[in-house]
Amino acid sequence: MKWLKSPGKMAHKYSLHVVYFCTGCGIIEIPPVITARWDAERFGVVPVATPRQANLFLITGYVSVKTLKAVIRTYEQMPEPKYTVGFGSCPINGGMYWDSYNTIKHLDKYIPVDGWIAGCMPRPEAVFIAVTHLWTLIDKDMANGYIRYRKNYAAYRKNQETLFGELGWPPLYQESATSAPEAPSGHLPRSGDVRIKK
Amino acid sequence: MSNSLKGKLESTFKGVEMTLLKDTRAVVSAPKDSIVAILEYLKDKGFDHLALVSCVDWIEQNEFEIVYILTSYMRNNTDYSAEQWLHLFIKTRISRDNPELKSVTGIFENAEPYEREIHELFGVYFEGHPRLIPLFLERKYEIPPFRKDFDTRKYVKDTFDSIPSVED
Amino acid sequence: MPQITETARMGSTRELELYFGPQHLGMVGNFSITMKVEGDRILEATANPGYLHRGFEKLMEYRTWIQNFPMVCRMNVIEPDSMEMIYAMAVEKLAGLEVPERAHYVRSIFLELARVGSHLFGLWAYSNMLGFDTTAQWAMYHRDLVLDLFEELTGGRVYHIYLWPGGVRRDFPEGFKDKIVNTLHSIGGCVPDYDATFFNNRLFYDRAKGIGIVNPEQAKKFGATGQTLRATGMKYDIRKVEPYAAYDKVEWDVPTREKGDAYSRIWVIRDEMIESVHMIFKLLDAMPEGEVYNRVPNPFKWNIPKGEVYVRCESSRGELGLYMVSNGGDKPYRAHFRTPSYPHGLIVLEEALKGASIADVGNIMISLYVVAPEIDR
Repeated sequence: MKWLKSPGKMAHKYSLHVVYFCTGCGIIEIPPVITARWDAERFGVVPVATPRQANLFLITGYVSVKTLKAVIRTYEQMPEPKYTVGFGSCPINGGMYWDSYNTIKHLDKYIPVDGWIAGCMPRPEAVFIAVTHLWTLIDKDMANGYIRYRKNYAAYRKNQETLFGELGWPPLYQESATSAPEAPSGHLPRSGDVRIKK
Repeated sequence: MSNSLKGKLESTFKGVEMTLLKDTRAVVSAPKDSIVAILEYLKDKGFDHLALVSCVDWIEQNEFEIVYILTSYMRNNTDYSAEQWLHLFIKTRISRDNPELKSVTGIFENAEPYEREIHELFGVYFEGHPRLIPLFLERKYEIPPFRKDFDTRKYVKDTFDSIPSVED
Repeated sequence: MPQITETARMGSTRELELYFGPQHLGMVGNFSITMKVEGDRILEATANPGYLHRGFEKLMEYRTWIQNFPMVCRMNVIEPDSMEMIYAMAVEKLAGLEVPERAHYVRSIFLELARVGSHLFGLWAYSNMLGFDTTAQWAMYHRDLVLDLFEELTGGRVYHIYLWPGGVRRDFPEGFKDKIVNTLHSIGGCVPDYDATFFNNRLFYDRAKGIGIVNPEQAKKFGATGQTLRATGMKYDIRKVEPYAAYDKVEWDVPTREKGDAYSRIWVIRDEMIESVHMIFKLLDAMPEGEVYNRVPNPFKWNIPKGEVYVRCESSRGELGLYMVSNGGDKPYRAHFRTPSYPHGLIVLEEALKGASIADVGNIMISLYVVAPEIDR
């Protein structure tokens, strides 16, 4: 019996908790997915309040430069194992806003992505196909975005710093090229942009 | 009503010219120093809805054109007559090399975010504005991004495409 | 012996800065508010837009008139049809295009269906925020029935690309009129259930009465339109003030309330939904036969004469306007959208949050009907 062999994988697959973060346009198709008609809860997908309780990050739609900072911080706060799915055509290669000065074009240069859902907007059934595909990847140990993040953290961090200049939070993983990856440093990221009326 | 308004405006302020377009729209061109006085005068006459403050970049003439679109709310709840809905496009031209203008937030409080946006995206400085801090943008650009000489496609190629993808 | 810190000795009369940031369970849309609080009361609030800024108006200057048409609808994700309408109106006015009679009726029916869908989405957001999960699930389900109608007519659930300069793209298919009537009957038949669970509920009254009050002078001073203004008593609706499409051909009334608080705004939304449904039935009866589209000259080589326009229409959130300048070429020279959420989210919200308690921030924000992509464009 498959699930007896790896109950850990079964627990990861059948209870994907999504971080509630409305990143872009795609948020318009998420309420239909999580409410009664298309009911994502029968797949185990449930939205939760904080990234500390989540293991699936659904990036719905285009990502602007300001949002990318929040996305990276949210991604780094999620505990492992964690999976990322890009929803819509815009995170894949810029989509309709390919010539905009304020949106990023390729999301997987900054955070690792396990799968993409194409479409503008994708239908709710596409979300469920993506979830079942993600189950297959988890079974075959191919949904390893978080492992790639740990391994190539220096490259990801360098890309993030090229885009933003000075990042306001310390690196998540300490530098150690050959030894086994260590646990995250445990710093809470500081918040950046503050606009207060003086 | 629009003709009488035209007469009054042109006689009260010098340098002001009002042209009537079709369909209850009219263009009022004014020098930049009398904008605040004209808006105050029109607000007393009943034009209390500042719908939009916009900016057009006429790069060939080396000028910015700031447009204030002014109309009125209803006088009372039963009168829907068309004469009330006269829209005035109050326009003024400022030089592109040193763009400065007096802010109208003293008269119309809701002009505040519009002027902030024009300052950020075009680089126009509004004197007397309570907070001219960035609204949308996260970083400073060499040329403010909505000007006609800012090439977005070149900027995208330089900034985003030059970042390498992480090979696995 | 525990150390008594300096802040503990000062007591609780200190100010904190809180971020109601983009990743928050109470935030619908990618928007952020920075608040200075003392205890539980907000002293000062600052809205932080910009998370969804794409530089839309700059991108429109790089695309021809007809290429802009699929882009424009993505500005307001909840009700993209009013954006298509305002762009079509502006191009028609600049180019001097005429729209056939039947197309006006089809456009009005289409826009009213979009308004019903958008209000149901707002009802989902608001009742979810307050904790009325049953009403939220029903509202989302009924909105899906409306989206099924859109899918049959245009091919897409969310982005329709249907209203374009010169008319609409295609006529109603066979039997579509009956489908509209059946769907609206099934939604309208549930209005007593909605009233019993949500609108007449004593808990909703206690949670929303007196919260986020905007009085008539403040509304006019801040440039508020839409439900925020109609809940203070003024019957200001662009469909009556400057009628477009077929709105002057049917009899209907503008619902208003008196108090200007969150309770009144949500009741205005409910009354508007019911009024829209009645309007669709009347329009379906009065619709004439004919063409729905006037051909534009070759859309790939279309130069529009010089000029400028400001057109406006009533979206589900308020007065939506477009100031467009043409330089005689095949691309817009400048397009500037006056979106209704701009004054609501940036000025009215900061004013309404002064003195409110932290628990009411989501309540006030959603009842003001702020849509974040409209602010940033």
